[in-house]
Amino acid sequence: MSEEHQPRREEDAKEFAEEQASLFKITFGPLIWAVHFVVCYGLVAVTCAKGWDIFATRLGLVLLSALALGGIGWVGWSAWRQWNPSRTGDPMNRGSRAEDRHHFLGHAAFLLSIISLIGVVFVSMPLILIGGCQ
Amino acid sequence: MKVQKNGRVARFRPVGRQFGFVVLLMALAGCGGGQSALNTAGREAASIALLFWVMLCGAVVLWLLVNGAFYYVSRIAPGRLDTRHARSVLIGGGIVLPVVVLTALLAWGLSILPDPRRPGDGLVVRVTGEQWWWRVEYWPEGAETPIVTANEIRLPAGQRTEFRLAADEVIHSFWIPALGGKMDMFPGRETMISLAPERPGVYRGQCAEFCGASHAWMAFAAVVMPPEAFDDWLAAEAADAVPPTDEAALRGQEVFLSEGCGACHTVRGTEAVGTVGPDLTHIGSRRTLGAGRSTVTLENLGTWITHTEALKPEVRMPSYALSEGDLADLTQYLKGLK
Repeated sequence: MSEEHQPRREEDAKEFAEEQASLFKITFGPLIWAVHFVVCYGLVAVTCAKGWDIFATRLGLVLLSALALGGIGWVGWSAWRQWNPSRTGDPMNRGSRAEDRHHFLGHAAFLLSIISLIGVVFVSMPLILIGGCQ
Repeated sequence: MKVQKNGRVARFRPVGRQFGFVVLLMALAGCGGGQSALNTAGREAASIALLFWVMLCGAVVLWLLVNGAFYYVSRIAPGRLDTRHARSVLIGGGIVLPVVVLTALLAWGLSILPDPRRPGDGLVVRVTGEQWWWRVEYWPEGAETPIVTANEIRLPAGQRTEFRLAADEVIHSFWIPALGGKMDMFPGRETMISLAPERPGVYRGQCAEFCGASHAWMAFAAVVMPPEAFDDWLAAEAADAVPPTDEAALRGQEVFLSEGCGACHTVRGTEAVGTVGPDLTHIGSRRTLGAGRSTVTLENLGTWITHTEALKPEVRMPSYALSEGDLADLTQYLKGLK
């Protein structure tokens, strides 16, 4: 490796700053799933206990589910672009460079957003299929 | 073990197989009878049984697939799979297939879940779990007072009956496997389940939540009847007890009242109005005695009264030491309460 290709200090810092951001990014999908889960179960339980209008709660939660799916979709899309397997030609990113880690975290975030998407769909199904508080 | 002519001990090899066969037979025996979720007589039980069979067949197919794949890669084609092939197996079998199968099962399960929560066609039966028996009240549509009985539930076939469930001291669970899924009964809280029996017959219900020493002896007969027969039965059940006519039964009624049985038991139409124990107004026509403990015969009634605690550990009713004559009269009276 020649002298002029050595990354400068600030370039390194920038690269790692981005990596820190994407470390957070891998938690976004499961986080949206978790919040959606707690809000759905909590709100339905409180609605039934207090005798509020369950129809309004269901409608609100279906909208929240759509919002959660959109959010996870966005996280997944941005993670897919970070992983970018078609452009790098390397889906596994086994290397040890910062760039490989960057792509790998995108890969992880993408897979986590898929499972979060399935989780949100499963949690939402009772809202659509079960009516009322019984 | 058999000793052969050459002095060797012959190993009786098929013993394991025979033993396995006997165990299988014993296990399969549990699939029939009046308390089987597989021998269904109602709509709720039928949909649960169908779900069970589909899942069982699916599990067998999955087992064959997994073991077939294992056999294939370990015996038929050992060695490395090419990456592309391996990845499609992993993604297809490890992600896509489970997601599709689980989503379909979840949607199916959720779609049949609301069925036993549907309102009934009119008849409401209130059942309270006691230590260890069932207090049963029939509330036909528009009724202002219930028809009280105990330890037996009769239902009209082809109609949906609503059960309102509660418990006295501890948590019980109401379950008639042949008719539908179970529902817990809580002290201080009412739960609900509705059942739509279809096939007339005698089935067995059982407490399905451990509730103390005699939990296993807390059962009841669930009788599904054609609607007209049910209406006749309910009308007879609503009537007061038939006064005894023969002398032994008349003496038995005196024993019943003088021994203080009426402090805990009700026999409608007499001075006995206790509500601690089961209503005995029509005990003679019930299928079981002591909440499924035995059948209502003179002999069983006698054993029950004199050995209550032995038959039902920790039960509230004390065993009574009566003279032979008094006991015979008393059982005659109880058996006659049709």
